[in-house]
Amino acid sequence: MSSPIIYCQQLNHVYSGNVALSNVTFELDAGEPIGLVGPNGAGKTTLLSILTGFLHPTSGIVRLFGQLPGATQLIGKVSALPQDAKLDPSFTIIEQLVFYARLQGLTTQQASLEAGRVLEEVSLKEAAHEKPQVLSHGMAKRVAIAQAMIGKPALILLDEPTAGLDPVNVRTVRTIIAEQSTATTFIISSHDLAELDRLCQHILLLENGILKPEKISIHEQQAATRFITLQMEIAPAPEVIAKLQALEGVLQVTNPQKNEFIVEYDFDLQPQMDLQLMQCINTHHWQYRQLSHGKTLEEKLFFRG
Amino acid sequence: MHPGFFNHLLLISQFELKRGFATRRGILSLLTFAVVWCVILLYPLRFTADLLVQEKGIMQGSGFFDFIGLGSIQQWPIAEFGVFWHFALLIFPVLSITLAADQTCSDRERGTLRFIVLRSSRDSIFFGRFMGVMVIQALLISASALSTFALVLYRDAALFSSAIPDLLVVTVNLILAVLPFTAMMAALSAKVKSARQATVWAILIWTFLAGIISGFAYYLPALAFFKFLIPGYQLSGLAELSGWKTLQLAYIPLLQSLVLLALGRWIMAREAL
Repeated sequence: MSSPIIYCQQLNHVYSGNVALSNVTFELDAGEPIGLVGPNGAGKTTLLSILTGFLHPTSGIVRLFGQLPGATQLIGKVSALPQDAKLDPSFTIIEQLVFYARLQGLTTQQASLEAGRVLEEVSLKEAAHEKPQVLSHGMAKRVAIAQAMIGKPALILLDEPTAGLDPVNVRTVRTIIAEQSTATTFIISSHDLAELDRLCQHILLLENGILKPEKISIHEQQAATRFITLQMEIAPAPEVIAKLQALEGVLQVTNPQKNEFIVEYDFDLQPQMDLQLMQCINTHHWQYRQLSHGKTLEEKLFFRG
Repeated sequence: MHPGFFNHLLLISQFELKRGFATRRGILSLLTFAVVWCVILLYPLRFTADLLVQEKGIMQGSGFFDFIGLGSIQQWPIAEFGVFWHFALLIFPVLSITLAADQTCSDRERGTLRFIVLRSSRDSIFFGRFMGVMVIQALLISASALSTFALVLYRDAALFSSAIPDLLVVTVNLILAVLPFTAMMAALSAKVKSARQATVWAILIWTFLAGIISGFAYYLPALAFFKFLIPGYQLSGLAELSGWKTLQLAYIPLLQSLVLLALGRWIMAREAL
């Protein structure tokens, strides 16, 4: 059994009398990207800052690969995209990336190649000799992601990697994470639940500095009771609920948002519920937009019960 | 395999040198320094040195330099270095406070320090930046001392061999003199948010420290010992000395620097980035 890449035990942090983290305890193993979600002020950035060694916890134990955060043994192994951090405006992007690569132990020549490689990954090689202040918000974010990938670290902590990005850049970031996730474990803090839904297999939920006890799994392959989320075009909600409720195996139908229905059903009784739903929609000449297995991440996290 | 502490020190201080000599801001500061120093060299310094050399007998008899508090200038065998010594003891500590004010503060506020601390220890950053700023100041001091040396040779090329010891004495002493000021700025920079704040705090702390300690020492002479804590405490004593005798007080800036660097390191280790 391999040891966890992140180990936190009874982690507490207090900012001038305000509790930012309270008894946070968890372990994470290497693997698929892990999401970190929670409302504003929940403690996500504080937790990531502690893991990267930017901040010292008030109390508790933190280990990354068995080392204290900020330990020199973690250089090149752990990297991060800190929220709102900017590069030095006095130097060009390539000068700074080469400097960072040199600090990670690469020779001057290796560092130049590596800086070029990571800029290529984020499609910004043409901006290599620019100063950071000429970059747009999206480009600056991609450069910050590029610095996190120097030396192919085993663990990358991303704090709001897609915040403020346009859809094209969001897609670029998503592709980068998906491509790198075979060799690197990503911890992604984000408010973009649809994005996390696409990328992550597990989610950690922080609320008011308290980590919710269970890791939320995106997939529910083992459960007997399962869910299907149905997004309809304009449809009469009471009639849809009544007709769906009447189907064999359906336990409950809810209508959490306009034109969105969540069907809870018994998988053992009706393993092909998706086909049954399609037939029902066809019979009643309704128009549907999307049918997906499971609940949306938003439903799982914030509207459980 | 990541490089060790000393390798990081070297890389970080090299990067600071690049900031000092190869960035637009650095080059502008250097140009400003060069212009100011040129004016000092060509006018007050050359004029006073000429006065000392040409009118030596008259001035000594009248006690003019004693009267204006620069009597020790006459003890220097090379007049230019005597004058340079007095100017430099004023200029370089003040320059140090401005030049060394932004060792870590603006990088911390901008978040740039986070990128660096992912790849290096806080100790390497703190001492690497300090080393870089010290090397830049050492180069500026050496350049200004060499320009004074050139002025001496311009007056009398035969003074070449006798001026070299003075050149070394002033260079070594001035580097020692700016050491505690740079260490004080390193410690302040690790705490405050901007270079301007660091400069203001340096002036306030220095003034209050000097005022309070002197005030207490007046009533309780035993407290005069604490004057050793004030960066630049030895400067007035230094101005009275000449030649290698100036190194008699070298222990004061060295001890002050050790204390201030230890304090700065402690602050740097505790601060959130």
